[in-house]
Amino acid sequence: MDLVTVNILESTMVSICREMGIVLMRTAYSTIFSEALDFTCGLANMNGDLMAVADYCPSQIGGMPLLVKSCLREIPATDIEEGDIILHNDPYRGGLHTPEHTFFKPIFVDRELIGFAVAIGHIQEVGGMVPGGFCGEATEVFHEGIRVPPVKIKKRGEDNVEVWKLLLANVRTPRINYGDLRALIAAVDLGESRTAQVIKKYGKVVFRETIHDLLDYSERRMRAELEAIPDGVYGFKDFIESDGVEEERTYAIEVEVHKSGGDIIIDYAGSSPQAKGPINATLGVATSAAYNAVLHMTDPSIPRNSGCFRPIRVLAPPGTIVNVDYPGPEVGGNTETHPRIVGTIIGAMANAVRDRTMAAEGGTHSNLVFGGVDAETGDFFICYDIAGVGWGGRAFADGNDAVDSINGNCRPTPIEVFETRFPWRVEYLAFDPDSGGAGRFRGGVGYTKQMICLNDEVICSQMTDRHVFAPWGLHGGRQGSLGATLVLKAGTQKWQTMREAYGKKSTSRYSNVRIKKGDRLRLVSPGGGGYGDPRERQRELIVSDIRQGYVSLAAAEREYGYKETSDEVL
Amino acid sequence: MRFSENGFYIERYIKCGTCGVLIYESEGQPVLTHDGVTYCSQWCIDWKIAREKRRADLERPANLI
Repeated sequence: MDLVTVNILESTMVSICREMGIVLMRTAYSTIFSEALDFTCGLANMNGDLMAVADYCPSQIGGMPLLVKSCLREIPATDIEEGDIILHNDPYRGGLHTPEHTFFKPIFVDRELIGFAVAIGHIQEVGGMVPGGFCGEATEVFHEGIRVPPVKIKKRGEDNVEVWKLLLANVRTPRINYGDLRALIAAVDLGESRTAQVIKKYGKVVFRETIHDLLDYSERRMRAELEAIPDGVYGFKDFIESDGVEEERTYAIEVEVHKSGGDIIIDYAGSSPQAKGPINATLGVATSAAYNAVLHMTDPSIPRNSGCFRPIRVLAPPGTIVNVDYPGPEVGGNTETHPRIVGTIIGAMANAVRDRTMAAEGGTHSNLVFGGVDAETGDFFICYDIAGVGWGGRAFADGNDAVDSINGNCRPTPIEVFETRFPWRVEYLAFDPDSGGAGRFRGGVGYTKQMICLNDEVICSQMTDRHVFAPWGLHGGRQGSLGATLVLKAGTQKWQTMREAYGKKSTSRYSNVRIKKGDRLRLVSPGGGGYGDPRERQRELIVSDIRQGYVSLAAAEREYGYKETSDEVL
Repeated sequence: MRFSENGFYIERYIKCGTCGVLIYESEGQPVLTHDGVTYCSQWCIDWKIAREKRRADLERPANLI
């Protein structure tokens, strides 16, 4: 193996993937791409194995190999021509959930197919029951928008017009969707041309050999990491609070992690049967979540490609909440159930890998989606709005404050952009003191966003979590705070949950609530759990937290046993 | 996965009872059955049997193991 060439080629391919993402960000129409960066770009070889990926959305990284391989089963390589671009979002064929659209473009060099440039992006409007795709009360996939099997959206470099027409006839915002789909195409166009240049530079033989070596190298690095973890069977169970359809019912995610030498098996047997509502994960999600969890507990410098996934085997029994059967609903599986699965695996490993596990994080993206007709322009608008949460405390540091959930790595849309694009005025946005669970290393804090509706009507839906089960602490750390969604109808004085105000089955998952002009929404995101005994927290960290407003004086006294001294100015 | 004769639609999604992967009949993938459930490999059948035994042993009082 020529490690120098391996390193150069790997870095080059990762740079190409990052550049693909920048193109996507800059050319997309919707804020979910331009601000939130809810996409991932990668490069795959002929077999569908991931060669390189950029660090955008982790939930899509692990899903990418399964997606590409599923497509290649239905459109074999012999049917793929130069200039083709294939589109796919089917959750039952390797997909993650209906909004996640995967584009891949073949990379030909001297008329020989070498690999694929791949971009996965969350299309915010996919038709279905609600504007914005997240139907919190869906009971079948057909409520969740258009399902696209592997099809060629471009053939030999030309638009496949019939596919475009079919796609854009089934969504509420065709102009914006058209722009976002074109941005995804621009990303794979760039990935294809850049990678072809690199292959030409090194030659096909060297390129293939180097990729082979690169994947083997990642595998060896991952196995070495796993070998350092004590062998054993580790179990954990966590719960999802509601499916939005059946009131007061909870759903278990159960995991057994079998670690033996350089191999790890993640077995989800024992998890609840699939739910009626849209919290089910697909096989792609269950697989990606397992990869995500293992990556969190191992050396981050291991090159991310299919090689490092080889030692990980995932067992996701069909018909369960971790592997939904057709035509069960699944849109929340990728955003809410994915992080809960990751947390469950990390929980299982908490005693085996104490220095690389964290307490539970907020584990939701908030997923407020809304749409309506703009009273000023007459245009239909749609937004998928993401909120940050507190992450769990770790063995060496506090949890991150107010960042997107563990599988997202997305960014909340800045208020200035939000107010410019959509008919809301944000009245309040601030960290919530004491929302991070106390601990030797405390959980990250969540935050509250309050906004008033400026349009005659905005149709809101949401798919969030952690209104009932708070993020757990680890090794003596306290749990983080709960999240909440509240509404204050214009002319009233009482904040209400969606259940109270609109008779919904769940406070955290609901569909098509009609918010009127002057109504206010308050979104509270959960804080992360704490790590370790709070009484062991360093005094200067407690003082710093009080000074900066992360922890109140009362909570510091109660949770940490803090007593103010005359030489400390708070 | 069982596709219609013309390949236009899926007639049945066939998944392994242990690992949950799709099994493509058209590719001649092995389709094994055990207790009326479909599996993709003997490894998956063996794992399921071993898991059931392991969990049953855990539930049994210690003096009976």
